[in-house]
Amino acid sequence: MSALSAREVVAGYEPGLPIVKGASLTVAAGEIVTLLGPNGAGKSTLAKAIAGLVPVFSGSVTLGEADITGAPAHLLLRRGLGFVPQTENVFANLTVRENLELAASLAGLNRRAAREEMFGFFPDLARLARLGAGRLSGGQRQMLAVARALLVKPAVLMLDEPSAGLSPKYVAEVFAMLARVRESGVAILLVEQNVKAALGLADRAVVLVDGEVRLDEQAGPLLGDPRLAALFLGSREHG
Amino acid sequence: MLQLVADGLIVGSVISLGAVGLTLTYSLLRFANFGHGELLTWGAYLTLAFLGLLLAGAEMAPIEPFSFGWPLLVALLLALPATAAIALAVDWALFRRLARHGSAITLVIASFGAALALRNLVQFIWGTLPEYYTREIQIAIRVLPRDVLGGLRITPDQLLVLGLTAAVVVALHLFLTYSTLGRAMRATAMNPSLARLAGADVAKVARATWVIGAALACIAGVFAGLTGQIRPMLGFDLLLPLFAAAILGGIGNVWGAVIGGLIVGLAESFTVPLLGAEYRAAGSFAVLIAILLLRPTGLFGARA
Repeated sequence: MSALSAREVVAGYEPGLPIVKGASLTVAAGEIVTLLGPNGAGKSTLAKAIAGLVPVFSGSVTLGEADITGAPAHLLLRRGLGFVPQTENVFANLTVRENLELAASLAGLNRRAAREEMFGFFPDLARLARLGAGRLSGGQRQMLAVARALLVKPAVLMLDEPSAGLSPKYVAEVFAMLARVRESGVAILLVEQNVKAALGLADRAVVLVDGEVRLDEQAGPLLGDPRLAALFLGSREHG
Repeated sequence: MLQLVADGLIVGSVISLGAVGLTLTYSLLRFANFGHGELLTWGAYLTLAFLGLLLAGAEMAPIEPFSFGWPLLVALLLALPATAAIALAVDWALFRRLARHGSAITLVIASFGAALALRNLVQFIWGTLPEYYTREIQIAIRVLPRDVLGGLRITPDQLLVLGLTAAVVVALHLFLTYSTLGRAMRATAMNPSLARLAGADVAKVARATWVIGAALACIAGVFAGLTGQIRPMLGFDLLLPLFAAAILGGIGNVWGAVIGGLIVGLAESFTVPLLGAEYRAAGSFAVLIAILLLRPTGLFGARA
């Protein structure tokens, strides 16, 4: 059974103007699925629709066996879906420790225990605990954002372009961290523009073009596949 | 000299408490609420009304050395939730509906309308004549003799206002720093969308912000009434100083609003002997303009 499943999802900001037009995908426990596509394909909108931040006009989203279609975003973390947005994904006016403790308290967890567990997983964050999150580097912010989503032990972790704006060194660090998270059995949906890095990490790739899924295949063999280049260049004849 | 500082700090205490509520609601709800001053007025009058009910015509026995007795404190405790209820009602009836479709300017104009309605309702219920919590005349205590920087006289009520303001601000700071709701308020002010993803019920956080802002306004209104008169224009007359304090401190910054309030109070106090009482407000605005020219985001503002 899939940890996360989206079926025929139609979603967007304005009714009658869908950006995602009937997209389906699944992510299994311990699997990384990367969601690829050219700019404006609707990748981020699909992720936000799954996370409850963008209205779903039709279709369904299930988390394990629970239907979470249109569920309020603030309930999803507690129910097992963590989402790390692309930008502004930490509370810059809170310290590293407060960022973690807030999510833990809101989920009804012991905030000290949850925080210490994350510090064990991300020792760099323990060192920066008292620092304002606004003063962290790009890579450290991603780490904190992922830690905040992970501390409730979600079944599914979604990340919207975690490599955006990061140097190659940090991209490698963030992706190595995601590989570790996968080993713990978490299902990961990774929205990415960095196709090469994403295909190198993911088990499966879903390519979205103009709000529709055009490819859903094993990730590794897709690297260098001419169909992928064609889809990114806007040709639809291979879809 | 010292007397001017003390007078300025007392006026500044009231402004600080009001400005903290204003800055909190601004940072969470993203609009300047020109109706906030009326919450001070309502807080003052609701306390007066509860005091009347508690005393039922009897005289209030003062707690020495203050001018008022326990019934005033009980009345204030009753007025806190009542003032919060008014803020929540206005939000429910007006701001929340307009926020769905309107822009920030729609909300600002609506807040002017709400202010007018609330003020006129006060006049309709209680009339326009000044009221007092107590008719006790307090003798100011000489704290310092006249030959030390002009001397210092202060009434016990004024000292209490200063002390309680400090206590309220410290309590608010601890609440915002250590409690889950306080942290959720800071997180929502920074990024409401991310706050939702972190598990915060943003609508609940907004309601809590109204409640806290209104409670602080109620306390400020009672302090203003205790150290002066209770009038329907009490809050309106303080509105511009409240905004000056919030902007001066950096809108959205609680400690900034406190310091801003004290600076505005001191500026008003020092303007009186230098330029005359009629230029009281002008003095505080001159300070505001001077500071904003040097620091456009206010003293502690990180973001414009």
